[in-house]
Parts: sequence; C-alpha cells; structure tokens
Amino acid sequence: MARPSAQAQLTNIEKYRSQVLSHPLVQGISPDEVRDHLAHVPRERFPRVAYANRGPDPCIQPRGGVPLFETQYELTRQLSQAGADFIPLTIDSYTRHNQYETATQLLHRSEEEGKSYLNGYPLISHGYELTRQLYCGLEKPVSLRHGTPDARLLAEVALASGIAEIEGGAICYCLPYSEGFPLDRCLLYWQYVDRLCAVNSTEDRPIHRESFGPLTATLVPPSIAVAVEIIEALLAAEQGVTSFAVSFGQTGSIIQDVATATVLRKLTRYYLDEFGFGPVRSYLVYHQWMGQFPAERERAAALIACSSLISSLIAADKVVVKTIDEALGVPRPEINAEACDTVQYVLRTFRSAQTVTSPMIEREMALIESEVKSILNAIFEISGSVFWESVFRAFQLGYLDVPFAPHADNANKLLSVRDGNGSIRIADPGGVPISNEDAHLEKELVEGRGDRADKTYRQMLADIRVMV
Amino acid sequence: MTGDKTVNAYQGRVVIGVIGDDIHIVGNRIMQLALEESGFQVFNLRARNRPQEFCQAALEVNAHAVFVSSLNGEGEYWCADVRSLFREAGLEHVLLYVGGNIVVGERSKDEVIRLFKQFGFDRVYHQEPDISVAIADLQEDLKHGAA
Repeated sequence: MARPSAQAQLTNIEKYRSQVLSHPLVQGISPDEVRDHLAHVPRERFPRVAYANRGPDPCIQPRGGVPLFETQYELTRQLSQAGADFIPLTIDSYTRHNQYETATQLLHRSEEEGKSYLNGYPLISHGYELTRQLYCGLEKPVSLRHGTPDARLLAEVALASGIAEIEGGAICYCLPYSEGFPLDRCLLYWQYVDRLCAVNSTEDRPIHRESFGPLTATLVPPSIAVAVEIIEALLAAEQGVTSFAVSFGQTGSIIQDVATATVLRKLTRYYLDEFGFGPVRSYLVYHQWMGQFPAERERAAALIACSSLISSLIAADKVVVKTIDEALGVPRPEINAEACDTVQYVLRTFRSAQTVTSPMIEREMALIESEVKSILNAIFEISGSVFWESVFRAFQLGYLDVPFAPHADNANKLLSVRDGNGSIRIADPGGVPISNEDAHLEKELVEGRGDRADKTYRQMLADIRVMV
Repeated sequence: MTGDKTVNAYQGRVVIGVIGDDIHIVGNRIMQLALEESGFQVFNLRARNRPQEFCQAALEVNAHAVFVSSLNGEGEYWCADVRSLFREAGLEHVLLYVGGNIVVGERSKDEVIRLFKQFGFDRVYHQEPDISVAIADLQEDLKHGAA
C-alpha cells in the first residue's frame, strides 16, 4: 500500500541535474544563474500572481507556437495586445519526442526558406538566451505547452528562459501522446520536472505546474479525468511543487461540465490536505472543446462562445481557447488574436455571479465523486513502496483506462457513450474499479436515451462527432 | 461484446492495425468494436506498425483477413510491399484490406483504388466514412471462400 507522501521527494536532484545539463545543446545553463534570473523577472510572470490579480472573469490563454524567433516574438505581442492573460509557447513535435537534431535542421530550413517546417517553437534549438528576449518587458505568465514524455531538458531550458508555468505530467503527456514511451520511466522523468520546478521556486515566486486534463479528448468519462488530475497534483506535491492547476476539457454537456468542475476543485483540495500538502495552492483550468471542431466558421464561433460562457459558469481560473479555424489546422496569429477578443467579449457580457446548480447537476456530482473515490482508493491499496509505482500498476491492472489512448499500456476495456443530455457515460467500466451501484446507474442513464443506434460502434462514432 | 464466445462461434479472425508512424487511433478502436459486434475475432496491433508486423500477426493467429489503416497518408509508402511479404510467408490466401486516408494530397478515389489494387490489396477504402461497407464486403468475401 503506497500513499502519496513527501517522503517520496527526490533528494539528489542536483546530481541528476548535472547529468541532464551535460547535454551539448544546453551548455551554459547554470542552476544558480537560472535561479537569479527567475528572481528578477517581473512577478506578474508567475501564475500565482496572475491568478491572485485576476478580476471576476477567468484568465484567457490562446495556443501558439511557430518555428522562427521573429514570428514567435510578433505572435507574443499580438496575443498580449488582443487580451491574452497567459501567453503560450507551444513546442514542435520533434522537440517533444527528444529529436533535437531534426528540430534544429528543420528550424534552419524554415529560416532559409521562410516557410514553416515545424509545428511549434523548437525551444532547445533556439536556446534560453535568445528565448529570454522573446519576453523582455512582458508582465504576464508564459505557459509551456508541449506533450513531452521526457521533458527534463525542455523544462530546464524553459525555466532558464524565464518561463514560470510548465504544462504536462507523467500520465497526461504520455498516454494520449505516445504509443510506446515506457510509462514507468515517464513517471520518473516527471518527478525530475516537478522537483526541478520546486527547487526553482520561492515563497512569492513559485514555479507553477499545470496538468492536461482533456487527455485524449475523446469520450473520456469525467471520473477518469478527475482521478488522473488528482494523481498528478499529488505526484507534483510530493516533489515540493506549491502551485498547481488541474484542468479538464469541455465534455459536451453543460450539466457534466458544471459537475466535473465542482468535484475536481473539491476533491483536489481534499486529497492534497489528506496527504499533508495543505500549503499547495490549486487552480482550475477549463479547455474549450478539444474534440473534432465544425469546419463552418459560424458554428465554430458559436461553439467557442458557448464554452466561454461555461468557463464563466464554473468559475474557472483560466480558460484555454480555440479559434474559428480549428478544423483547418494551425491558425494564423490574427485568428488567434480574434479568438481572445471573442472570448473576452462573452466573459465580460455574460458574467455569472455564482455557480449554478440543479437536481441533475447534484446527481452528476455525487456520481463523479463516488467513482473518483472508488478509483483512487483502489489505487492507494495497490501494493508497492511508493505512490508512482501504484499509479504505474493501476494502468497495468486497468484501474485507470483512458478511452482512445494510443499507448500500449492502456487497457482499452472501458467503453463510453453519451446519454440523452450529452453527458459521457461509462457503458462498460472494464477493469476500472467503480462500485456496482455506480456502474448500474451509468447503465441506466445510457438506456434512458431514446435514439440509441443499434450498434455500440455507431453510437460511439456519432458521440465523438457530436459538435460537428 | 463477444468476449464469451468460443473460437468456433466467430465469423473469422481479423488482424487490424495502423501502418507507419501514424498514431491516429480513434478509427482503429472503432473498427475493432465494429468487427467484434459483427462477430469477428479481432487481433488489434494498434498504432505504429511496419508491414512485417501485420505479416507476423497474420501468421501467428492464422488470420482470415488483415485490415491495414492509415490516416496521415503514410499508407502509400508502406503498403507497396505488403502483398509480396505475405506471399513470401505463404499467406497468399489472406485477404488484405486497406482504408482510411491512405495517400497524401488530393487525388481521385478511382486513382487511389487502382494504385492499392496494384499493390495487391483485395479491397480499398479511401476516405470512406462508413465502416459497415468494409464489414459487409468481408462477410461476402469470406462466404465465397476467398480465405
């Protein structure tokens, strides 16, 4: 039985760091100099400060990463002017998979030909000295968005660049993003990242970590997402992280969004306190629809407006926004800036004074909470000496099962479909240890849907494409 | 679900998987469910497979059919040699189907179908949204003793 504990903290991070920092591409990074740099960037660059200073509306964060420094510089200014409260730095997929040489070659080709051969900013190829200049004078947090199973080097360069928010985690950046990266190694590498963030934090300037709750964004039942988010918060807290955001993606049902937000916020606090991590501050981030987007711009705009409203209803600390060109690929900077403006307009115009509730929302909350507790309690009971091992075993046992994750260690036994109000239901829990009562209620709610297709696969296809 | 059926009760054994470095898995998972719901026993290789892996799996499970899929268009590169590999392994009789978004760029369906038939595929589905078409074809092909 292995429960989360501060005892699991890596004690010899400095030794590991000197190994990681011996990589030829990061020559020149000195841990002392990095700490000094972080102590001198504006305080507003730290998410805790930005969250403390925010008004009644959620902070807005667009997405964005381009290969060239100059273009990224322009994009950063454009997004900031358009009203983004958090500035994204999205990393290209070669860097995400530790293929730094390929990223560097394609960066050079992009520079020579003036065309993008990368789908993001190759942070390690550009290096921290140049990247610091991206953010000269910027008084907003920068968020590192990637999808990297082994992000040790990337996190080092990000912190050295003055970036104070690192998205990701051992589960959320492995299961949905990789087919074969060993999950146990990923858990250890993210311990490094969490510890690295902790040792670079001070009381009033904590490096902030954020988990990616949408996971595959394909019919993920809220209880699975909430359980994963809480686990990642606990794993980070074990390493000494004191500022952490849990997140989830728009489910497709307003009822379920409100219920998920309430339970996620409540249980994250509960479990952090339970295991002695009371001082850790937790925040809630909402991702606008992460599934297939409508190709028609008018519909995309309507979807974005609705999810902006939901982010306000659930009192999210931050909303990560989509653009009307989502269905077409990586959006142009102007389109990204427009999206910030639209979201800001909705948030300002339809400010909600307090969270809504209803008997249906209450029932949904009770169900999600009960399922999450069953899943987490089962994981805490798995034999082992440290919590991360139990988490690893939980996937092998199918206790955690993320629908449509490409990863070889994912059980793929859980089946999910939508019910009559569009909420995601567990049609078959597979090995996920929810109680018989909860499994029964889930089934009942599925059967309550009148227009069900004859075959499960047809239903699932229709349910995945629900917004199109 | 078909988990409790005996082997004899299945309509046939099908190996499925995504070819190349493609990691698009949603269609693959739906295909597995669709085949299972239609009574087939499915051996799912999931994402990132080389042609050899389809061949080895077909040999191992004595497959009636192999469904190769690709969404990012890598199919054209990887599929050219699949049939000859199967022939070398003595698996000439195994039905080969390919589907998804199997070439890069805009090309006519007819042209794509012709190309993959030349590669030795029995059935080709390029940008075909309805999975049940391939399943009906498989039932038909197996009825005629193709495998």
